[in-house]
Amino acid sequence: MWAYLVNLAVLISINAILAVTLNFVLGYAGIFSMAHAVFFGVGAYTAALVAMKLSGGFLLSTAAGMALAGLISLALALPALRVRGEYFVAASLGLQMLAMTVFSEWKVVTGGIGGITNIPPARLPGWTVASPEQYLVLCLVCLALVMLAVATLVRSSFGRSLKAIRDDETAASAFGKNVAVIKTLAVVVSSALAAVAGSLYAFYLSFVNVESFTLDTSVVLMAMVIIGGTATLVGPVVGTVLILLLPAALSYLPGLPQSEIGSIQQMVYGLAMVLLMIFRPGGIWGFRDNPKDDR
Amino acid sequence: MSQGGAVLLETREMSKTFGGLKAVDNVSFALREGIVTTLVGPNGAGKTTLFNLITGHLAADAGDVTWLGNSIRGVPHWKIAQSGIGRTFQDLKLFDQMTVEENVLTVTERGAWLWQGGGRTGLAARRARALDALDAVGLSGRRRARAIDLAYAERKFLSVARILAAGARLWLLDEPASGLDPGSYDRFVTLVRDQLRHGITICIIEHNLDIVKGISDRIAFLDQGRLLAEGEPQAILNDPALAAIYFGERAE
Repeated sequence: MWAYLVNLAVLISINAILAVTLNFVLGYAGIFSMAHAVFFGVGAYTAALVAMKLSGGFLLSTAAGMALAGLISLALALPALRVRGEYFVAASLGLQMLAMTVFSEWKVVTGGIGGITNIPPARLPGWTVASPEQYLVLCLVCLALVMLAVATLVRSSFGRSLKAIRDDETAASAFGKNVAVIKTLAVVVSSALAAVAGSLYAFYLSFVNVESFTLDTSVVLMAMVIIGGTATLVGPVVGTVLILLLPAALSYLPGLPQSEIGSIQQMVYGLAMVLLMIFRPGGIWGFRDNPKDDR
Repeated sequence: MSQGGAVLLETREMSKTFGGLKAVDNVSFALREGIVTTLVGPNGAGKTTLFNLITGHLAADAGDVTWLGNSIRGVPHWKIAQSGIGRTFQDLKLFDQMTVEENVLTVTERGAWLWQGGGRTGLAARRARALDALDAVGLSGRRRARAIDLAYAERKFLSVARILAAGARLWLLDEPASGLDPGSYDRFVTLVRDQLRHGITICIIEHNLDIVKGISDRIAFLDQGRLLAEGEPQAILNDPALAAIYFGERAE
């Protein structure tokens, strides 16, 4: 039971990093990215390869993943953000599809469908993260750092620019904001930070393959952010906890046929989304009546 | 009535067509420093389109616009804004989910990078400028409220505070007085007069002729995209032909 709980907590932390970084663009900049799982994947594959081929430790592998994810997101954002909203959704969806093909077909690098196995444990200067409990500590520290980075940015002039663009792009540019550059930077920051989750994931499972980085993952991440509360710091974490605990909670409910848990889960997600839209459009943690929308 | 100083901004033979409609047709006019120039004309005369051409939100089909002697045609609108041309919008376009203070603070922050120059001192200076602007429009008591929660007149004044904090030298105001109660209107006129004394140049789109009379130093009269007349308020407002057009009796 203890091992199960630690495992769940590690997965929650990793997914929370993804939700928090997705919220940075979705909630604060109003950019709907369907490709967040791609940067999760780029972080995971890069970290795995750096660890295996270059015997890189956790810090080097993560930094390499962040750099590559940031670079790839730049290629997406530069052309796609010059135009408005819907085009970015379409372009990011395209990138998600493209990335899945690359992940599963570029066998020399990604190992194809079989993925990459035997990734060594994460090493930090003076510390090899051996037990799951130690790994949980590493994940929580990373989550805290990512949340701190996002919170700092959101409260800064950059965060205000993002919110201004989200609220009215025309007015933001009429007051001298270079909208395309600001949005592009936001996507790069968000993608690079998402790669941290990828690195944690690869070292934790010591195995990565394409199945973790599909469109489904991108959609579930979006659900975590929206259910928890966009444009709030804590909301995406709350959303992540709820969505990851739901299957566990359902399997403990008496009287439910175990074989049907999957479809019941989908129904609960759908119902929850509809109820939220009606009763709490700002999400569970969304204080839409409170001016302090960045807590 | 002042005739104003040097020409700050000038359009030369500007035209813009939407489909078959000539929204702005060969318009040449100038905005002189330190005065209020009012754009009047019936609905659809091309007044807001002219603003959009000046600020770069629309690309002109023909003609040129110069600002401080340099052509700004084709310059991205955020760069035009940074060069000192500020505007308000008919629908205000406030940053609704942000607080009143954030609305004003963010327009003082033009850098696109992750941080602005100047560190803590810079932020303190920008914040002081933002609060001064809110003081000037009487909104400093509401600075923690969200823009969307303000009353209509407060929202209008916030849109003016934004342009004030941005440090714009030329203000393009799109129907700033519409919907204001008499008390708010008086405050608005006082504010405008005060800004003129500080060297600000203002161009206003306005429908209400009483307001036009009260506030204008010069008037430009547009109809169907063309500039029909430009001159002192008395001359324009007393012209029976222009009055006929304004009130819908178009003489063929």
